[in-house]
Amino acid sequence: MVKPTHVTNSIRTLRFANGEMTQADLADRVGVTRQTIIAIEQRKYSPSLEMAFQIARVFNVRLDEVFQYPDEQG
Amino acid sequence: MAFLEKSQWVVLVVAVATLAAYGTWTLTQALSKPVAEIDWVQPMIYSIVAFVVLNVVGNVIAAATNPNEADKSDQRDKEINAFGERVGNYLIIAGACVALVLTMVAADRFWIGNAIYFAGILGSLGASVTKIAAYHGPFQKW
Repeated sequence: MVKPTHVTNSIRTLRFANGEMTQADLADRVGVTRQTIIAIEQRKYSPSLEMAFQIARVFNVRLDEVFQYPDEQG
Repeated sequence: MAFLEKSQWVVLVVAVATLAAYGTWTLTQALSKPVAEIDWVQPMIYSIVAFVVLNVVGNVIAAATNPNEADKSDQRDKEINAFGERVGNYLIIAGACVALVLTMVAADRFWIGNAIYFAGILGSLGASVTKIAAYHGPFQKW
């Protein structure tokens, strides 16, 4: 429960690559709170598969371009 | 700050305040007279009513400070809420077991009533602290 997720993400990079989209803008488009986007970016929370697809859809990229699951788990 | 988190801060502050007020009143009397003579029923009722009323007022104020956020909750909020409530329920069950044992050994009704009261307050406190911690640290439902 208290360990950071092993799932990494590129949301911050993708936001800046998409016109410096703010966390609030992304949250509105996905339909979640800004705090949830912050938690996902900071790897404090893993979204559901559905939310992950919604985030990828906002950036118009594949799911694995947003979320990664590295082999080495530290 | 998400509205649910604000709401949990309200619960935390109100629970500590009502617990401190009731605890101080009861302990002060317990030092000078036997527990059977302590006037605890009315103060406990006041404490419970104050807990409910102050929570409602606190939540209204929290909602009024940012009305746009007040009706927003998402999957993470729901998961954190469910996790916190589960922790709170464990504490209430533990307190109920203590009350049950006290009843079995025919303890004074002061102890039974207070065991149930503290179970309820500690359940609320435990749930709110768990939720606040989940909002600030890593949280996974699995």
